[in-house]
Amino acid sequence: MAGIYLHIPFCARKCCYCDFVSFADQSRRAAYVRALLCEIDLAAERFPARRYDTVFVGGGTPSLLPAEDMERICEALRARFTIAQGAEVTLECNPGSVDAGRLAAYRRAGINRLSFGLQSANDALLRSIGRIHDYAQFEHGFHMAKQAGFSNINVDILYGLPGQSEADYLDTVARVAALLPTHISAYSLIVEEGTPLYGAVRAGETLLPDDDAVYDMQAAGRAALAALGYAQYEISNYALAGQECRHNINYWENGEYLGLGLAAHAAMVLAGWRRWNNTADLEAYIAKTARGELPIERMQRIERKEEMFECVMLGLRMTRGLSRAAFAARFGQDALEAYPEAAEALRALGYLEVTQDALRLTEAGLDMQNSALLYFMED
Amino acid sequence: MAYDRELIRNFCIIAHIDHGKSTLADRMMELTDTVALRDMEAQLLDTMDIERERGITIKATAVRMFYTHTDGKRYMFNLIDTPGHVDFTYEVSRALAACEGAVLVVDATQGIEAQTLANVYLALDNNLEIAPVINKIDLPSAQPEYVKKEIEDVIGLSAQDAPCISAKSGQNVEQVLAQVVALVPPPQGDENAPLQALIFDSIYDNYKGALSYVRVKNGVVKAGMRICSMATGNEFEVTEVGVFTPQLKPASSLCAGEVGYVAASIKSVAETKVGDTITDAANPAAAPLPGYKQVQPMVFCGVYPADGADYENLRDALDKLVLNDASLSYEPETSLALGFGFRCGFLGLLHMEIIQERLEREFDLDLVTTAPSVIYHVKKTDGQDLIIDNPSNLPSPTEIQYMEEPMVEAHIMTPSEYVGTIMELCQEKRGVFKDMAYMEETRVNIQYELPLNEIIYDFFDQLKSRSRGYASFDYELKEYRRSDLVKLDFLLNGDMCDALSTIVHRDRAYAKGRAVAEKLQEVIPRQQFEIPIQAAIGGKIIARETVKALRKDVLAKCYGGDVSRKKKLLEKQKEGKKRMRQVGTVSVPSEAFMSVLRIN
Repeated sequence: MAGIYLHIPFCARKCCYCDFVSFADQSRRAAYVRALLCEIDLAAERFPARRYDTVFVGGGTPSLLPAEDMERICEALRARFTIAQGAEVTLECNPGSVDAGRLAAYRRAGINRLSFGLQSANDALLRSIGRIHDYAQFEHGFHMAKQAGFSNINVDILYGLPGQSEADYLDTVARVAALLPTHISAYSLIVEEGTPLYGAVRAGETLLPDDDAVYDMQAAGRAALAALGYAQYEISNYALAGQECRHNINYWENGEYLGLGLAAHAAMVLAGWRRWNNTADLEAYIAKTARGELPIERMQRIERKEEMFECVMLGLRMTRGLSRAAFAARFGQDALEAYPEAAEALRALGYLEVTQDALRLTEAGLDMQNSALLYFMED
Repeated sequence: MAYDRELIRNFCIIAHIDHGKSTLADRMMELTDTVALRDMEAQLLDTMDIERERGITIKATAVRMFYTHTDGKRYMFNLIDTPGHVDFTYEVSRALAACEGAVLVVDATQGIEAQTLANVYLALDNNLEIAPVINKIDLPSAQPEYVKKEIEDVIGLSAQDAPCISAKSGQNVEQVLAQVVALVPPPQGDENAPLQALIFDSIYDNYKGALSYVRVKNGVVKAGMRICSMATGNEFEVTEVGVFTPQLKPASSLCAGEVGYVAASIKSVAETKVGDTITDAANPAAAPLPGYKQVQPMVFCGVYPADGADYENLRDALDKLVLNDASLSYEPETSLALGFGFRCGFLGLLHMEIIQERLEREFDLDLVTTAPSVIYHVKKTDGQDLIIDNPSNLPSPTEIQYMEEPMVEAHIMTPSEYVGTIMELCQEKRGVFKDMAYMEETRVNIQYELPLNEIIYDFFDQLKSRSRGYASFDYELKEYRRSDLVKLDFLLNGDMCDALSTIVHRDRAYAKGRAVAEKLQEVIPRQQFEIPIQAAIGGKIIARETVKALRKDVLAKCYGGDVSRKKKLLEKQKEGKKRMRQVGTVSVPSEAFMSVLRIN
């Protein structure tokens, strides 16, 4: 398994909680698309060939790009990389920025999965966090997507928003589930340093629900989703049976992926396990790719011990856990042998289950994943 | 050749913090060309960073200046710069004893403060002539005539001829020099008599060993002489004598009436005790100079490295500091909660803060300190007397017949509008009102007896905040007095945390127990299980708080770009956990031990 992530760093407007690399100023959009096409050529030339099973176009708001740009990008990907038959190709969309023409173009470009950033069904909450759409627009967009032939659709929702109640969150869950998307991602709001939300919270202007309330929302949401047929398969991800996101599962299996675009990250076996990321400076990105240089900012060789820990850290995010067979195949050592003390301590706490196939966190363990991971780290 | 004693003037400057003592000293050095202007930096005599930043003097220093008076004669001035804070009262008294006079600097906008008065009384006790100076007359709010009257009313000193100066601009500073000649008497003494030299401070020099700062009262001291400490009987051979320019400058001898330093390959300042008398081993003086005291620490606290691996570094740092500070004491102690550390004794709270700050800044150590304690006297039921400076060592209540705590006499000077709130504060701190006197219409001198253990926490901060910074405060140890004291313990998830134990008055135990438990509840992070926090006296629980169990500790998102970041976050979390102290099953952050001190 290997995936390609492609970053489109433009948004109509920055949301107050967002710390991704994206710009509301779109004046460099055309130049960026040219640069991205250059990078696709360069990366295809310089990195070893892989058969890619998934492509994920994220942002920013990729659906802001003119449909023909998206078609050119997808065409270039298929021309320069080996994309598997039946690959999962996802595009992130803002609920307010799709129309029938665009959707048809996406289909032509080979995109077969959409991810809508709804966040909440409550319009007042949407406004308060700086979203530009309302729920009705989302519903309209969702139906259009279905009509355009998209059967595999994810909806992102958030809990722990300022002023959000549990009832309110459960209402969002119910309304979204009623539309029968194949996949729902439910994230706890994270207040990232440097965002407008961070400032407002620090200044006491914005009040967030306390930790216990957030925990309760999460637990209630998980139960409601399960009852509606959306099984949790990762800390924040739920899907109908067989509809789990393959691109993301590859991350959690610590698989290889190529990152293209501004500030995109990649991980691959290149004389050892390596991670790297592109520059986050838009002008530098454009200039470097124009000169025929890869726009890499930093590349890091990951030592074996750390690679093992990455596998644990990522694998234990999934409810099915860390595959012992995959771990043993990768490192020549059983995971239980690699971490006997951590496994024992976490079992005693009721955080970990060890089966024939896997090490997996229990529901309590998933909620406390950070605390659990500390046991796997060296002192 | 001895300098003509009639032309020597030995004096110090007495001033409240920020009234301009160091600035005046700077100007005097400039006017006498002691320091070239290009070498001048502000507060030249305060060499430690902490001294300059806080505007305080911790170590005494001295400088020799030559002043040509209008009478055409060239006078030798020895200015001894003394610390001003109550913690260092003994050191100040010895520095004063090395002088014949004192320049009293009073801020024309502030008037006399408690510390000024305390030091004036010390100077008067040492028979010093006092030359008042009114400073900061360049400020719009200056009221020099008013302040002069206050000096006359409160101290009973004629101030009509006091120079009105601005040390900052240099205005009229030459009048101060003339005033020193006129008012400060030349030193007495007999250079043919056996040597008597008063040690008023000492510093450690990497090359010369411990240097004694001395005032020669009688006789002569020079290199090659064998000298003897009259307090310890230890003998040393003098390797060098010299004067302060203000840098150390060797001299052939120091004669009666002069101020300088003596080097004698002495290993530590603990062997050159402030107040001690140096004499000639071959021809000793009949008696030492009066006033020597062995200084005793008054305030104690546990000092631990935040990272246990730094224990040896902390020991080395304390070893180095004590080379230069004989009043600091320390001995190893262990705490169940904090591991290996030291019980340190300090002259007072400022001294404690300074040492902690120097350990952290000069030696780059991260420290955890426990609540300060005073020394308690304990009479056991079996008749045995104990001296307790660490609450953990207090015997069980059934073994205690009675306890005594140190009481101080405190003078608080304040504008009269704050009298009510300050008396309230003193009452809260178990103070006993003694006296109140109006120094003038709007300023009051309040006298209270207060238990020392009540003022070592936040008394000074409270005093300042309740008086908007206007009240000043000074105290001296009075006596030990019987008191109904109890040991207040704290239990975390059922395990006692020794580092949090304190000794308090029974009447205050409940309030304190509740307040500390609440504070702990705030600062101890939620953990995987619920943590009861209990305050207890003996076996009896008097307060309880709960830290609820942590239910959610997970990063919502982790995709391709988040892996490195997530690893870093986890490393930080792990590091944070490592830095916490384990009390039984509970992880306690270092700040918890200190935050307990800041309870209102």
